[in-house]
Amino acid sequence: MSAPLLQLSSATLRFGGLTAVNAVNLALPRGQLHGLIGPNGAGKTTLFNLITGIYAPSSGTVTFADRDLASLRPDRITALGIARTFQNIRLWSGLSVADNVRVACNLHRTTSPVHALLRGRAFRADEAAIAARVDELLALFKLDRFRDNPAASLPYGEQRRLEIVRALATQPRLLLLDEPAAGMNPSEKEDLIRLIREIHRRFDLTILLVEHSMRVVMTLCDRLTVLDHGVKIAEGTPSEIQSDPKVIEAYLGESTTSFTH
Amino acid sequence: MPVPRQHVALLATLALAGAVTAFGGSLNAYHLDVAMNVGIAIILAVSLNLVNGHTGQFSLGHAGFMAVGAYLSSAFTLRLVPASASAFEQHLLFFAALLTGALAAAVAGFLIGLPSLRLKGDYLALITLGFAEIIRVVFQNTPALGGAIGLNGMAPLTTIAWTFGWVAVTVFTVSCLINSTYGRGFLAVRDDEIAASASGINPTRYKVVAFTLGAFVAGIAGGLFAHHQLAIDPRGFDFFRSVEIVVMVILGGRGNTLGVILAAVLLTLLPEFLRPVAEYRMVLYAALLIGLMLLRPQGVFNLRLGRSATGKI
Ligand SMILES: Nc1ncnc2c1ncn2[C@@H]1O[C@H](COP(=O)(O)OP(=O)(O)OP(=O)(O)O)[C@@H](O)[C@H]1O
Ligand SMILES: [Mg+2]
Repeated sequence: MSAPLLQLSSATLRFGGLTAVNAVNLALPRGQLHGLIGPNGAGKTTLFNLITGIYAPSSGTVTFADRDLASLRPDRITALGIARTFQNIRLWSGLSVADNVRVACNLHRTTSPVHALLRGRAFRADEAAIAARVDELLALFKLDRFRDNPAASLPYGEQRRLEIVRALATQPRLLLLDEPAAGMNPSEKEDLIRLIREIHRRFDLTILLVEHSMRVVMTLCDRLTVLDHGVKIAEGTPSEIQSDPKVIEAYLGESTTSFTH
Repeated sequence: MPVPRQHVALLATLALAGAVTAFGGSLNAYHLDVAMNVGIAIILAVSLNLVNGHTGQFSLGHAGFMAVGAYLSSAFTLRLVPASASAFEQHLLFFAALLTGALAAAVAGFLIGLPSLRLKGDYLALITLGFAEIIRVVFQNTPALGGAIGLNGMAPLTTIAWTFGWVAVTVFTVSCLINSTYGRGFLAVRDDEIAASASGINPTRYKVVAFTLGAFVAGIAGGLFAHHQLAIDPRGFDFFRSVEIVVMVILGGRGNTLGVILAAVLLTLLPEFLRPVAEYRMVLYAALLIGLMLLRPQGVFNLRLGRSATGKI
């Protein structure tokens, strides 16, 4: 078996006295669609922040394609092939929908800022290729009709989809999705499930998915990891997790999220 | 091959500036003087807009970089342009002097920007203000640069052609950058730094580029200013000069190049129109600022700190 694409070894992150992520081990093989679940405050988003370099681990390691990510800046980590979406949507609200995607194409630009001043043939070809790529991605997510609207003007569900498009524009190998279905109605959720399947296949992705909607997680994921209070309490297939007494207990002790919704 | 739109605009402006200079003899000297002040203000405002507008930083130090350009270009022309030089040679050396001043300003901008651009909002404002004052005090205490008296006796080398030539180059450069995939990154850094870095943009690099380029252009403006005023002293580059440029950017709409150009024109012409009521000029100017704050409820100094400054990620 080949080495996992993403590997966390006793990854730990402390905020003062609070251990938000506590000695978590995780190995994601290439191509897996892996779900990360757990009650509110379990440390799921913090784990994403750890992987993407927003925080450095207090101890333990995070490796991606056999590379230690410690001390790498977030933009370097993205350049290595990890992209993410944010639970609290972080689009560039002043930019158009298309420009939100275009900025993320910078990683694969072939011309320099000096070309932008000379505006020669190479520059125009590069910009045209980027524009075509942006249009293609927007069309895939049915966002092309909003192309020139400010990102902030999009309905909530579309903003979440735009975040995924922006992440894809960096051409990642690993995609981290933080509650992509939050605030979506059932039919939007079904659409999202189809879309995630589609991009998983089409872009040959490995996906780590944080989601409270059990419908989405159970339908999509090959494997699940459960966090509670920063600790990994279980890992297994969706059916194993569903019948795991430790997991049921973690969710029952929590009033706001029911395990079955 | 189609000529890009931006290049046509650039060439047209340059040709116009050249024509005005060629036939400038028939223009009223006062009007020429005001026109050059307007041009210099546009260069300063558009370059600061790259930093404070497009990139969303808050620099209060633009006058410091202007001072570096003004002093170094003046020292250059005062020492290195022989009295016997022909008009052509003088202007050639003037060009070299402007670039020297601007490069020095860019180096200062880079050195100041690198450590301070990690700070946000009010802190960045304070530290850039501090650095600008340090630059000013250094000039004030450098006898070779005239100390508190400053430098004078520069030749009147700043013409309408130079001024509006540089206006054209500045506007061209900033708008070409901003209207490219690369340049959209400045706006992304302004809107959300964390999302920018998660999308492969290095916010620090963008901020330093904006700051250094802004300082370079401010240095050019300083050189033009010095060879238009023909006498400079440290007081001309104090805090109020920086504030004046910041006001142009805010009044014009941060990140809006055309708006900022209009604001630079307006705020340079305003004191001229207010000349008849000279004693109320500053009061009216202040009233305008207050009106501005009321019209912009987020406040003149209350800058977009982004969600990253507070809250969770
Ligand atoms: N920057 C921070 N400083 C201090 N504490 C933090 C910080 N970020 C997160 N925490 C804390 O870490 C714990 C884990 O938070 P996290 O946001 O990772 O949970 P989560 O599993 O994503 O929850 P949710 O399902 O509500 O999104 C929480 O107790 C949270 O308050
Ligand atoms: Mg979360």
